[in-house]
Amino acid sequence: MFQYEKRLQYPVRIKQTNPKLAKIIISQYGGPDGELGASLRYLSQRFSMPVPELKATLTDIGVEELGHLEMIGAIVYQLTKGLSEDEIKEAGFDAYFVDHTTGIYPQAASGVPYTAAAMQVKGDPIADLHEDLAADATTSKVQTTYTNAPKVKHP
Amino acid sequence: MSSKEMLLKKLSSYKFAVHELKLFLDTHPKDKETMKKLKEYEEKARELSDEYEEKYGPVKRKNNNTEYWSWVNDPWPWEAQ
Repeated sequence: MFQYEKRLQYPVRIKQTNPKLAKIIISQYGGPDGELGASLRYLSQRFSMPVPELKATLTDIGVEELGHLEMIGAIVYQLTKGLSEDEIKEAGFDAYFVDHTTGIYPQAASGVPYTAAAMQVKGDPIADLHEDLAADATTSKVQTTYTNAPKVKHP
Repeated sequence: MSSKEMLLKKLSSYKFAVHELKLFLDTHPKDKETMKKLKEYEEKARELSDEYEEKYGPVKRKNNNTEYWSWVNDPWPWEAQ
């Protein structure tokens, strides 16, 4: 069972729209190494995890990833709110806009819709934990590459 | 930063600490010192949550008003003000 809290894990307050940046950050929402994939990976792997401590950990971090998904959604939403037609075209955001307008769609930066093909649930604890380590390494790579943008990074 | 934002930030900080302590306990379930600390932080988070809900509306589905379901009120967490 899951319960929602009406707050973000960390507040998101973006003062200036930036559709160019949104095109990249959307990948952290529904891309191959995004938060949706992370959450589903942990919450699905836990069923076959034989060790109590690991069932607990996968459950708790799987839920936390949903909180991260919400923060990324908030970032993309605020980066693209109230854009003019010119701003959309200039930033090359028109390719996304024609399909989703400024709705938040789980996709990679390349436009590929969210796919579970980028994750694995093997039912073998060692294989699954190695998969988690690899996935987490890719996530931190994205985070250090793109989140230093001014106006998004918390002052 | 408004006093609402300040309070929310303080609440979020304690909630984050609570979450991290729980994750630690997941892999160290016999650690008494951490359990004690968790209890202390949970208590503090509860106080701050009560104060926030009293002043600004529900974080969980708490509803003190019998005339109106205030859970539906804007803003939602993704809407910057």
